[in-house]
Amino acid sequence: MLRFVAHRFVSMIFVLFSISVLSFLIFFATPGVDPAARIAGKNADQATLAAVRKDFGLDKPLPVRYAVMMKKLFITRDLTSYVNRGAKVIPQVTAAAPVTLSLVLGAAVIWVILSIAMGLLAAVFRGKPIDTAVMIIGLVGISMPVFWLGEVVNLLTQSRFHHSPIFSWVPPLGYTSFTSSPFGWFKSLFFPWLTLSVLYIGIYARVLRSALVEAQEEDYVRTARAKGLTETRVLLRHSLRTSLIAFVSLFGLDFGALVGGGALLTEVVFNLHGVGKLTFDSLQNLDLPVILATVIYAAFFVVVANAIVDLVYAALDPRVRRA
Amino acid sequence: MNRVVKMLVLGSLLAAVAASAGSSGAASSHRGGTLKLLAKAAGGTLDPQVNYTLQYWQLYQATYDGLLAFQKAGGGAAFNVVPDLASNLPKPTHGGKTWVFHIRKGIKFSNGQPLTVKDVVASFQRIFKVKSPTSGSFYAGIVGAKACLAKPATCTLKGGVIGNAKKNTVTINLIAPDSEFKYKLAVPHASIVPANSPTSDAGTKALPGTGAYYFASYNPNKQLVMKRNPYFKVFSKAAMPDGYPDEITQSFGLTVESQITAIENGQADWTLEAPPADRLNEMGTKYPEQTHVETLTAFWYAPMNTRMAPFNNLKARQAVSYAVDRNALVKIFGGPRLATPSCQVLPPGFPGHVDYCPYSNPPGKVWKAPNLAKAKQLVQQSGTKGAKVTVLSSDDEVNKSVAVYLQSVLNQIGYKASVKPISGNIFFTYVQNTKNKVQINVQQWYQDYPAASDFLYVLFGCESFHPGSDSSINIAGFCNKPINAQMHKALNLAVTNETAANKLWAKIDKQVTDQAPMVTLFTPKHIDFVSKRVGNFTFSKEFYWLVDQSWVQ
Amino acid sequence: MSDVFADQAPVHATGEPAIVGAGPWALAWRRLVRNRVAMVMVVVLALIVGLCLAAPLYAHHVARTDPFQSHLDATTVVNGKKVPVMQASTSGLGLGVTPIGPTWDPRHYFLGADDQGRDVAARLLYGGRNSLLIGAAAALITCILATIIGLVAGFFGGVVDGVLSRFLDVIWAFPVYLLAISLSTVLIAKGFSIGPFRLESGSLFLPIAIIGVVYIPYVARPIRGEVLSLRRREFVEAAIGLGASTWRILWSDILRNVVTTAIVFFPLMVAIDMLTEAALSFLSIGVQEPNASWGTIILDGQGLLYTRPAVALAPGIAIALTVLALNVLGDGIRDALDPRAKLRRTD
Repeated sequence: MLRFVAHRFVSMIFVLFSISVLSFLIFFATPGVDPAARIAGKNADQATLAAVRKDFGLDKPLPVRYAVMMKKLFITRDLTSYVNRGAKVIPQVTAAAPVTLSLVLGAAVIWVILSIAMGLLAAVFRGKPIDTAVMIIGLVGISMPVFWLGEVVNLLTQSRFHHSPIFSWVPPLGYTSFTSSPFGWFKSLFFPWLTLSVLYIGIYARVLRSALVEAQEEDYVRTARAKGLTETRVLLRHSLRTSLIAFVSLFGLDFGALVGGGALLTEVVFNLHGVGKLTFDSLQNLDLPVILATVIYAAFFVVVANAIVDLVYAALDPRVRRA
Repeated sequence: MNRVVKMLVLGSLLAAVAASAGSSGAASSHRGGTLKLLAKAAGGTLDPQVNYTLQYWQLYQATYDGLLAFQKAGGGAAFNVVPDLASNLPKPTHGGKTWVFHIRKGIKFSNGQPLTVKDVVASFQRIFKVKSPTSGSFYAGIVGAKACLAKPATCTLKGGVIGNAKKNTVTINLIAPDSEFKYKLAVPHASIVPANSPTSDAGTKALPGTGAYYFASYNPNKQLVMKRNPYFKVFSKAAMPDGYPDEITQSFGLTVESQITAIENGQADWTLEAPPADRLNEMGTKYPEQTHVETLTAFWYAPMNTRMAPFNNLKARQAVSYAVDRNALVKIFGGPRLATPSCQVLPPGFPGHVDYCPYSNPPGKVWKAPNLAKAKQLVQQSGTKGAKVTVLSSDDEVNKSVAVYLQSVLNQIGYKASVKPISGNIFFTYVQNTKNKVQINVQQWYQDYPAASDFLYVLFGCESFHPGSDSSINIAGFCNKPINAQMHKALNLAVTNETAANKLWAKIDKQVTDQAPMVTLFTPKHIDFVSKRVGNFTFSKEFYWLVDQSWVQ
Repeated sequence: MSDVFADQAPVHATGEPAIVGAGPWALAWRRLVRNRVAMVMVVVLALIVGLCLAAPLYAHHVARTDPFQSHLDATTVVNGKKVPVMQASTSGLGLGVTPIGPTWDPRHYFLGADDQGRDVAARLLYGGRNSLLIGAAAALITCILATIIGLVAGFFGGVVDGVLSRFLDVIWAFPVYLLAISLSTVLIAKGFSIGPFRLESGSLFLPIAIIGVVYIPYVARPIRGEVLSLRRREFVEAAIGLGASTWRILWSDILRNVVTTAIVFFPLMVAIDMLTEAALSFLSIGVQEPNASWGTIILDGQGLLYTRPAVALAPGIAIALTVLALNVLGDGIRDALDPRAKLRRTD
């Protein structure tokens, strides 16, 4: 087991390293990306351009630039943006993290509760019209582009019906921090939560339903049933518990990806300045220091979530360790 | 970053007579309150000697002073240069090469430090030490500037900027007379900051200034806050009047749509961004009192690469100019109230401007209709029919729409055109570099240099073309020796005889237009949308809305 | 690594009676045809594809308009009256120009015009062709490459597996949209060339290639897992013991078994790819003007959301309907084939 953990750790570091190198190389392979002229300003003199290039270390070979940037990011922690000069990168990420966390946590609560309810309902009425209906409703949620759904929500709440009593309470797009106003926080995130969770409700309900259906056929469930327990009891007591393993591990992976900035589209549409929006803006600005920081941040969560889920599985099932 | 493109706006020589500014003095009941400005994103570094965006240049008007300043007044009066930290606007001596400034006494920076001759001298050196974008263009004419450009760290400007603490004067010596030097001293890059300011870009840390306000805090992801400078006393109403609001904030991050909604609902007072086309009608009909439309001295144009097929052929370039329906483009920009068709380089109202439009149907002084038949015929004659053309543009809505329209026109006259919108942040540098082989792209130029030369010489002079560099503002790669020689002649003539120089510029404008290194599309107008409570809206042709001269109560 | 997040819907749980005397493919087919919901969706899908294929017919013979040409000065007919397509405001300060809204008349701007005065209905049909093409082609690339990678990694194991798996790890952890955004910025601006192959920037193949590659790990991982477990099965070990050639075993014993997994993934990948294409185009890094896809029309419509919401609503509904149909169909195929497919998707 220890060897497995060590192995996982090494491959985690490898993946993070490759991703940082890859982002770095992609950046410098992009034509027109040389930040010197953008930093120097419009119609800058050629001498000024050269001086700026030297100042920012852009005249050094690529490996040196990479090493310097990584040092500034992880060791001295004073990496600054190319676009908003003097703005440190790490505080930008730490300022964005709570926004993303608020969005993802709220959405997760909604999707977990609703998907368990829907999954149970479908499993109980397996094969009946209710089952089909619930599953199709879930599929409709999966099938809508999340950014489009967000736009439609904005159209209804921010303009078309903004002055009607139903939506007049909706604040303008943007984030209100929990510490400044808990109620404002709730109001500003309510529709983003719903929008983001729509996709996951469908997926999780389906996963849970399948797992439940499968568990119903397991020996211990048959035993429980043979002992004369009611169907509902069997479902809740025995099947649900085992079925939740797949559900929880899937949740771990999604949660990791979303906290790392995977909710990019939702954040962009609702103008929430989270990690995803920061990543998107930095890509739009071609602001390499911020791109690197956010990409590594995102990859870290994905990799860690992956590793945790694997480890849990390895602990539960020794065969995985050999695979 | 369209800001890069929009950037700055310096004065023209337009208004000769100064109407007295009707908008200074803030000792009334209107004084107080917080003015809330909105912008999509921050404008980068806050250092007045480095920042080159209209976004912050507008705010520097109330926070920093130079030796000279553009008058804080509405309309064309804003083009007048008035003494600021200097008590005089000197007449240069020594054949126009020496300028002697008397520095005002009793002025303090926002940190309480008094202003001295030393600060002035250090600020000029600092232009080079921080590698200000204009150090090599605006200020390269100062004696000693060459050494400073080569070795910024040890810049002294020896013999160029000389302070005399006893007499309280600063003397500036130029290599050659410069008719535009007074304007160069009145822009934010020549702001005077304390001598002990850092000799590198101050970034997000605000430098103390001598203006009516100071920057109290700046977080590029959130907000910029301006408060009253406690040490400020009015010393020149024309250069730096007192402001009305106690506090001015600029918040970043809302989308343009939400910004407009917030202003309509009275939650904010103004947006930096151009309003989306979708909302114009509503603004014009529901909120006409809050919508201010102002003419600009600027132009939208599409430079064509004169060094690459098919536009290395004069007939091909002229064909495009004949074919473009300026009325259609005006529609894209928001209708005839927001833009005027144009054919030439110099915008209406600019020194040297004389109406000229050879590409109209019929040809004349102003544009009437496109001439597709003629265009098709020219393409046929040029032998470039069927050539592949890629139109580049920045990826925002209006620029992209213009590019899509151009592509449509190019297809109509016989080319095989495609469109490539690229991120607004790399667009401006990308199209300048000859290595990227750009054929035609959508550009706009807002006056930033106070003379006809700022359009004609900067955009189409041989010296503005640098192959292989990201900084080569002559995007068309246009270099016509006889025309260039005339430009040099006009530049020299301006020192002694401005009227004669402007006549010559008018001639040059015609010649460049005939050579068609670009298609001129239209002259844009500018919209400011403010909240209901904003009063005394004053628009300076120089730096746009004078933020601190409006009241909120 | 992890292929644990599974959507496992075993067919034996549906309690279907076994059909005796037919091959596995024929059996699967019969099960699929009997799935009524799936069949309805097949009809819906066929309708959408048919309509999109008929785009030129509609544009040239019904709407009589060129949807790739700007029509800023054009006029059209509403209730027998001639009106401009782009209507300049005349009240108040007279600011702004608004494109004509839906006329609900198939011959004249059925769904209205976009900001270039182009017929939205015609562009919707043309856009659908691109969206469907990109979705299908990218899914094909994903499934083929993923099958090869999964097969090689799972079968040969050792160093080969190590290298391929790390490669999959990197793509997996590199956030999908970032990878696509980065690649598109590089490729869209400059195009791409390897040897004799030259990809023009703006070519449809760019988004296809990007989306196709990005999703490889999602399919390759479960296939690799399956190959791993197949290798340990008696019939494969027996074949190895009998001295059968490696390629023969790969081909006849293993590929045949995993190909059903790839087939099950296909419609689901088409659905995911279409959503991704829309998202990329929405972030203006997918299909390039004047070409259209449903994603770019949503983007065009975003600028008109306030005055002409139909421009953005119509393509969104089209995407949702198509993806829904594909998902239901995919479900049906999986139920019919029962390979205990494992699937993961993203935000």
